Amino acid sequence: MTAATSSNTAAADWRFRRQRWLSEVFDQPASVRGVAVLRIVLGPSVIWHLRPFLADALGGVTYHDRFQQPWWSWFPNAPAGLYVALLWIGVAAAVLMTVGLWSRTATWAAFAVVAYNLFLSQTHFHHNRAFLVILLAGVALCDNGRSLSLDALRRPPSDDRALVWPMWLLRFEAAAVYFASGFSKLIDSDWVSGRVLHDRAVRYQNEVRDALGDALADPVLEVVTARAFHWVLSPAAVATELFIAFGLWFRRTRLAAVWVAVAFHVGIEVSAHVQVFSVIAIGALAMWAVPSTRDRTLVTPSRWVGWLDWMARFDTTVVPGASWCMVDRDGTVLEGREARRFVRTRLPATFPFSRFWRYR
Amino acid sequence: MANGYRDSHNYFAFQPFNESSTYAVELVRVLDDGQRVPVANGRWEGYDWNELIDWGPLRSPWHQRHAFSGVDAVLDFLDNALNWVADNTPGDTETLYFEATVTYYRNARGPYVTVIRSHERDLGDP
Repeated sequence: MTAATSSNTAAADWRFRRQRWLSEVFDQPASVRGVAVLRIVLGPSVIWHLRPFLADALGGVTYHDRFQQPWWSWFPNAPAGLYVALLWIGVAAAVLMTVGLWSRTATWAAFAVVAYNLFLSQTHFHHNRAFLVILLAGVALCDNGRSLSLDALRRPPSDDRALVWPMWLLRFEAAAVYFASGFSKLIDSDWVSGRVLHDRAVRYQNEVRDALGDALADPVLEVVTARAFHWVLSPAAVATELFIAFGLWFRRTRLAAVWVAVAFHVGIEVSAHVQVFSVIAIGALAMWAVPSTRDRTLVTPSRWVGWLDWMARFDTTVVPGASWCMVDRDGTVLEGREARRFVRTRLPATFPFSRFWRYR
Repeated sequence: MANGYRDSHNYFAFQPFNESSTYAVELVRVLDDGQRVPVANGRWEGYDWNELIDWGPLRSPWHQRHAFSGVDAVLDFLDNALNWVADNTPGDTETLYFEATVTYYRNARGPYVTVIRSHERDLGDP
């Protein structure tokens, strides 16, 4: 084969792959189960996000009564009564999102309320709120009520498939968030050298002492306030975010990236107050599941698989006394302990404790 | 996201925990006759800074505070907050403008000092 022929073949192969990917993104319906899982996570998150605004409103205080910094002079300001009503509409929409009643309309309503509240004043801005608005928009763009919803119970659809280009938008957005956070720190010499985190650790050591008590806090603080510790921790944090940003895109690294992301968000939640960010970011990881359902067959003696298979990875048959047997998408058959271990890697609740690296 | 590299607030740029900077404010009222009156604990003429502002990052700024989203963002918020207070304290008939002397540490380097003033208020005819 000549070099020119090889080059032509590679170009044709690349064109074919690109066309197949574009078709997969824009034309082919696929399961919206992951989007539905995210919708269910976002519902309570919207309520949790609106909670402080509602608490103030119940005390007779709205954004009109405190310092505000408008984004744009033309942006409409709701009178206090209408503003409070909008907050409650947001809560109602979030409840409907969670149970999946009028799912798509409810998601749009929740998006409208959260976005309106965010853009009333720059003092309402937090990164987690911006991420929440973007996720709500993405979920609303998708026909998310076809699965895990009262809508699907009331009027069962033929299947749980719909166009999933919004899911790809959400994947891009989620990866971009990790990349933006990691890259901005990578090019900041104060951050990557550990200066920023060390200074915070030193400044907030009293909170650690209050939380843990002197006996436990002393050895912990000896480590976390040491300058050398942050020479390692800060580059590791940057590498973690960049690994998640890129690792999510590739099949061979995806499960590892999801595991690292879960651990990363749990770590942040323990050490900092980030409002709804940890919950919605972990929920958004559902976007990275392959958008097809029940395409592995499983025979199992256990009922717990059915209860924990939130992403509908398995077409499960429970046979009391049977041994485990799982047939993968490519026809690979796993039996006994191997099948059980594989199943654990595909159930969200058991995934963090599974041997996911053996079954990519 | 690219805009976040030139925007002091990093809006929508997803750059959390970007600085460990701190700041503290010495707030004074400058009266029509030029007299400078310190605003002790944020209280003056029946007003309370914390009640007026009622926003965590600018609460009790006379104590050393963490600079939410970085020093540049806090200085911008503080500038707007001084103007907002000047516009929303009609019972204060003495203050011509507010002045905040901000002492800050950027990622533990400093101190640096800068002065921010509100716009002048219309006190009416004497």
